[in-house]
Order: sequence, then C-alpha cells, then structure tokens
Amino acid sequence: MEENSKDLSERIWRAFSSMKLGLALLGIIALVSGIGTIVPQLEQAPEKAKQLGQIWQWMGITHLYNTVWFRLLLGLLCINLIVCSIQRLKGIYLRTFKLKPPTTLEQVPLKIRLTLKGESAQLRESVQTVLKQKGYRFSLSNQSDWSFIAIKRRLGNWGSLITHLSFVVLVIGALLGSLFGFKGSFMEGAGTTFPIQEIQLSKGKVSETFDVRINSAEDRFLPNGERDNWYTDMSILENGQEVSRQTLSVNHPFKYHGITFYQANFANGVSYTIDMKGKKTSVVLRDQGQSYFQAPGTELYLVTAIKSGSSQKADVLYQVYKGTEEKPIQAGQLTTGQTIDVQGTYQLTFNGLAGFTGLQVKKDPGVAIIWLGCVLLVVGLILAFYWQPIVISGIIQSEDGVQGNLTTGALSGKMTANSQAALERMVDSVSKLLK
Amino acid sequence: MLENLETAMFYILVMASTLAMLLYLIWLGTKKEFIGQLATYLTIVALIANIMAIILRMITSGHPPLSNGFEFILTFVGGIIAVYLFAEYRYKLRALGAFVMPIPFLLLMFIIMKMGPEERIAQAIPPALKSQWLTFHVVTAMFAYGAFAVSFGLGAMYLIKLSKEGTQKNSNQQGIVSRFPPLDRLDELAYKVVGFAFPLLTLCIITGAIWANYAWGTYWSWDPKETWSLITWIIYAGYLHARLMYGWKGKRAAWLAIFGFAAVLFTFFGVNYLLAGLHSYAS
Ligand code: HEM
Repeated sequence: MEENSKDLSERIWRAFSSMKLGLALLGIIALVSGIGTIVPQLEQAPEKAKQLGQIWQWMGITHLYNTVWFRLLLGLLCINLIVCSIQRLKGIYLRTFKLKPPTTLEQVPLKIRLTLKGESAQLRESVQTVLKQKGYRFSLSNQSDWSFIAIKRRLGNWGSLITHLSFVVLVIGALLGSLFGFKGSFMEGAGTTFPIQEIQLSKGKVSETFDVRINSAEDRFLPNGERDNWYTDMSILENGQEVSRQTLSVNHPFKYHGITFYQANFANGVSYTIDMKGKKTSVVLRDQGQSYFQAPGTELYLVTAIKSGSSQKADVLYQVYKGTEEKPIQAGQLTTGQTIDVQGTYQLTFNGLAGFTGLQVKKDPGVAIIWLGCVLLVVGLILAFYWQPIVISGIIQSEDGVQGNLTTGALSGKMTANSQAALERMVDSVSKLLK
Repeated sequence: MLENLETAMFYILVMASTLAMLLYLIWLGTKKEFIGQLATYLTIVALIANIMAIILRMITSGHPPLSNGFEFILTFVGGIIAVYLFAEYRYKLRALGAFVMPIPFLLLMFIIMKMGPEERIAQAIPPALKSQWLTFHVVTAMFAYGAFAVSFGLGAMYLIKLSKEGTQKNSNQQGIVSRFPPLDRLDELAYKVVGFAFPLLTLCIITGAIWANYAWGTYWSWDPKETWSLITWIIYAGYLHARLMYGWKGKRAAWLAIFGFAAVLFTFFGVNYLLAGLHSYAS
C-alpha cells in the first residue's frame, strides 16, 4: 500500500515536471483566450453575451476569464512551473557556483575546441592572465594535469528560473486582486456627496465607509482648441469631516487608503436648486435627459438639455413628465439664475452648468505583487537572452613536464556562435601573450 | 509646409522600399553585386524617410505617433526596416531582404489602397493617451514586431532552402538558395532574433499594462487586443521551449516563427478590423 502511494506521488511529480505538460497547458490557455475574443464576454459586451443561450453561460463561455476552470488551468501551470523550478534548482546552482575543472581530456567540450602548444609554465601563466583580464571567474585544479574552468556572466544561468517563478508571482498577484479587491464606478455631478458604498460595483465588495464629495468637474481645452483633460476636484469625508482633497485627471489618479479613483469619463450637466416647501436640495442633471430628478412623494420627473452658453451664462431646456405619460406636462427654457414654479409642487432654480464626472474606483491589493512579478519577468528575460553565460574549460597535458599541450573548449550553450567567438578570442589572447 | 514635407517623405519611403524589394529579388536571381548594393542603399533611404516622416508628424501633432492606424503602421514599417538593416549588416545576409522587404511593402500598400486622406492626418488624442508609458509601449512594440518580421523572413528562407535542397538538384534554383546561409545557421539566427524580440514583446505588454492601470485602473482587462498580444507571446514562448526541449529545431521551429508572425499581424490588423474592443480608438 505504501509502495503504491509513493509510486503514485512520484508519477504525479514526474507528470508535473514535464515540459510537455507545460507546453500543452500554455497551448490550451492560448486557445481558450482566443475563443474569448470571438464569443462576446459579459465584461465587454454584456448585451450580446446575454443573448447566448443559458448553457453557454452555465459553461462559462460568456465569462471565460473568470471561470473556475480557467483559473484551474493557470493553477496547474503554476504547479508545473514550481515543480520544474525545484527540479532544476540544484543543477543551476552547481552550474553557476560549483564548476569543476576537467580532470581528463574527454571532459573538455568537444564541439567547440581549440588547442595550443607551448611551454607548460608559460601556458598556465598566460591562461590565468587572460581569464582575469577578460573578467572570467575561474577555478584551477592540479590533480594530475593542470586544468581550469572559467565562467563569465554566470547569473545568466538563473534567467529562465527567475522568468518561470515570475509567472507564478503574477498569478498570485492576480488572485489576491480578485479575492480581496473591488472594482466599480460612478457618474456624479459637481456638488454631490455620497457614500462610497453606493457606487456601482462590477467586482467584489466595498467594506470602507467614507463619503465622497465632488467639488467640481471640468472639461478643459487648450488654447489651440484641443482637449486638455478632464479634471475632478474631489474630497474624502470621514464622519462628515474632510480628510483628504485632490484634483485628478485622466492618467493622474488619486489614491486614498488603498482605493484608487481614476478619471474615466465626463459629461455636461445642469445644476438646479429645488425648493420644496422650504426644503432646499441641489441636484445636477446630465445633459440630453440622461438622468432625471423625481420630486419626493410625487410622480413628477424632471429632465434637461443644454441649449447654449458657457458656465457663467447659459440657456437650458427643461421638461417635466408625469408618471408614464408620453408627453411632458410642462416644458420651457431657462437662463442662469431664473426660478420657475413646477406644477405648484416645487420651485426650480437654474444655477448654471456643472460638470458630470465619471470615475472608476478600484481597490486591488495585488497590484504591488503584479509589478514585482513584472520586474522579475523582465530581469529573468534579460538574464536569459541578453546575459548568456560563457563557460570555457581547458587542460594542459605534458609529456616531458616542460612542453605542454593546451586543449580548451567552450560549452556550446544556446547560441553556439557566441561561445565559439569567445573561445577564439581567449585562445588568440593567450597565444599573443606566449610570443 | 511641414505637412507637405511629411507627405513627400512618405512617398519617398514608399518608392524606396518598393524599389529595394524588387532589387533584392532581382539580386537573388542575377547575383550582380551592384544591384545588391543598390538595394541596401535604397533600404537605408527608406529608413531615413520613414524616420523623417515620423519626426515631422510628431512635430506637427505634438505627440508620439499613435493617434491612428496610419501612424501605427508607419512606426511598424520603421521597426521592420531598422531591424532588417541591422540583421543584414551584422550577419552579412542580404538574401534576407527578398523575404523581409515585401512585408513593409504590403503594409504601405495597405495604407495607399485602404486609407483615405482623412484617415492619415494627425488626430487629436484623447486624454487617456497622454502618458509617457505609451511612448515606451510603442517603441518596444516597434522593435519587437520588427524583429518578429525578420524571424519570419528567416523561417521562410529556411523552409525554401530545405525544400529545394531536399527535392530537386535543379541547378538554377539551387543557384538561388545557394546564396542562403547553411540551414543550421538560419535556424540559429532565427532563434537569436526571437530571443532579442521576446523580452521586448514582454516589455511592450508590461508597459501597456502599467499605462492601462494609470488610465483605467485595470492592468489587464482581457480586451481582444491584450488577449491577442498574450496569445502571440505564448506562441513565441512555445517556440523557445519547443526548440530547447524536443530539439524541435529546423523545420518545425521555422513554421512556428511564421505562425508567430501571423499572430503578430492578427494582433495588429485582425483585432482592429475584425474584432472590436477597448483599443477601438486604434482603428
Ligand atoms: C508562462 C510560461 C513560461 C514562460 C514565459 C517561460 C519562459 C522561458 C524562457 C524565456 C526560457 C529561456 C529559453 C531560452 O533561453 O531559449 C525558458 C526555458 C525553459 N523553460 Fe520555460 N517558460 C514558461 C513555461 C514553462 C513551463 C510550463 C515549463 C515546464 C514545466 C518550462 C520549462 C522550461 C525549461 C526546462 C527551460 C530550459 C531552461 C534552460 O535550458 O535554461 N517553462 N522558459
């Protein structure tokens, strides 16, 4: 029984240490990702995705990247990568830090080899001088014949290992984000205050309790008429007290206690004051009737559209609807500062134009890990491809103890031509010294 | 004034690269040294004109060349020609020109046939595109994609040489492929070029993610453009591993290099023209 379970775990270990499995997983992930760009996804095209049948949704085809089995694929790949890395760790360590000089001629790499004749003692001297000069680290052996092994850019050996582990780090970062973060957005007019819990969420939950106040929202233009940026001046209120205030714009987010606000959208709006039996409230309505105001306790709906003007002086159109009736029961035009009566229910004052700002709100505790993974990934790749180690070894054999035969060879590595060139340069320098 | 100069540069680029492509092809057949040299000089002219056009565009519009498809293609073409010229010079590999230069030619023809003047003029960029990261994003993409185009050319050369050597010993056709380096040299060069480009593609994806995080608050949103760049990345990772592991050198590696470049093109065009997404401003 014990034998069996050992056998099984060994078999599993071996399966996960295979690059074949890794490549198969990568292939499947690529394929599944590709399908997700053809089949509409709930995240990008919710309406189209919902038109697909229930079965599709149930299988997760409409939200592929969030399904359990897509995560399972990523998880398997991570296990694969970790097992692979563990297995290769010792070999890489030995190849980097514990290089052993050859003891016989056969141990000198055969594929790229050069030989040189000379006086033994002088050969030894010259080889060491050249290796030092060219920045190699080397170790020597005097066992039967004099021999050496030298390595340059040895950290390059760690490139692929670091690359592989960086991928695991990235997956962990993404997982943290999806478990403990949230993502949402809101579209609010200047002057409004609302609790952070009320934003529209697309992912996760908000546990924070502060309020957000939009002080102003502006769509600014450059003198040449091009759009400069959208700006939002906003405050964070804890128990009604302002604790932080910042102006943000696209590409210049604002961060508060791990929650980041990003400028994402902008719309023009109209600011009104509504006086209902002496109780004043201010509302900002979006242009073109994209938002409405329902007077409390009534069936009156107010929408508005901007006709002309700037923020100082403007004309707007307004319409009041009752219930689900198709025609407005009251409509007209207002200029800045004007007050009218709406159906004897409330007084409407038009204060002027106001911006409507659309912000994305996000909390992602995994982001730092993601950037760490990115740094590791880049470092690993640079080591793997731009910092490839060169390993040269050689042995001096002598018949009479005075004259010797230096046989050197280079490990061919992944780019044979580079190793070849490095060996040639070294032998060239040694033979120059001999003269 | 500057706009006119830019247009002139664009047409010099078109003419020089078209002629260069033809001359590389003729050179393959005739082996006249003079023709080969002329092809190289014309390619250099094309690169200079391309760089000038991009710089003029940046001066007149005041931002990096990324406000529309025209500017993207221009940058892409520049990347291909620059990496190609480097490879030709470094590896003494003029025959490669006949396989790489048709790519910028086709890209430029795409502009001429499919893009009207209104699609070519500089456009105001939305606020989201005003970021330094985007400049890195474009520069890394330019060189990575350029290098992938070169590895595509090397893969094609490999397959042609392999099929010609494998089947007939027809002296004339043998003559053309005899100008190609030996097969294993081609294979190693392709690997080298992919090895140069893969870290750049990775950086391109990462800088894109950093920028997206600044602009939208999500470093990765699985929009089609991102997803296809990931697929491209996986294909080239597959290329690197397959080559190490099964000794999938040679023929199969060459096919993977070609396949990978097809994915690059799809990421570039297919996504803009066939699939819609967040990157739709790029079309
Ligand atoms: C996210 C996916 C992966 C990436 C980005 C990646 C990246 C790399 C890179 C850049 C190299 C160096 C290649 C070269 O020098 O030509 C490499 C080598 C290697 N990879 Fe991966 N890899 C991935 C997945 C895997 C998987 C799943 C396995 C196996 C389980 C694996 C096993 C290996 C092995 C054995 C090497 C050879 C290392 C050497 O000889 O130095 N890789 N990988």
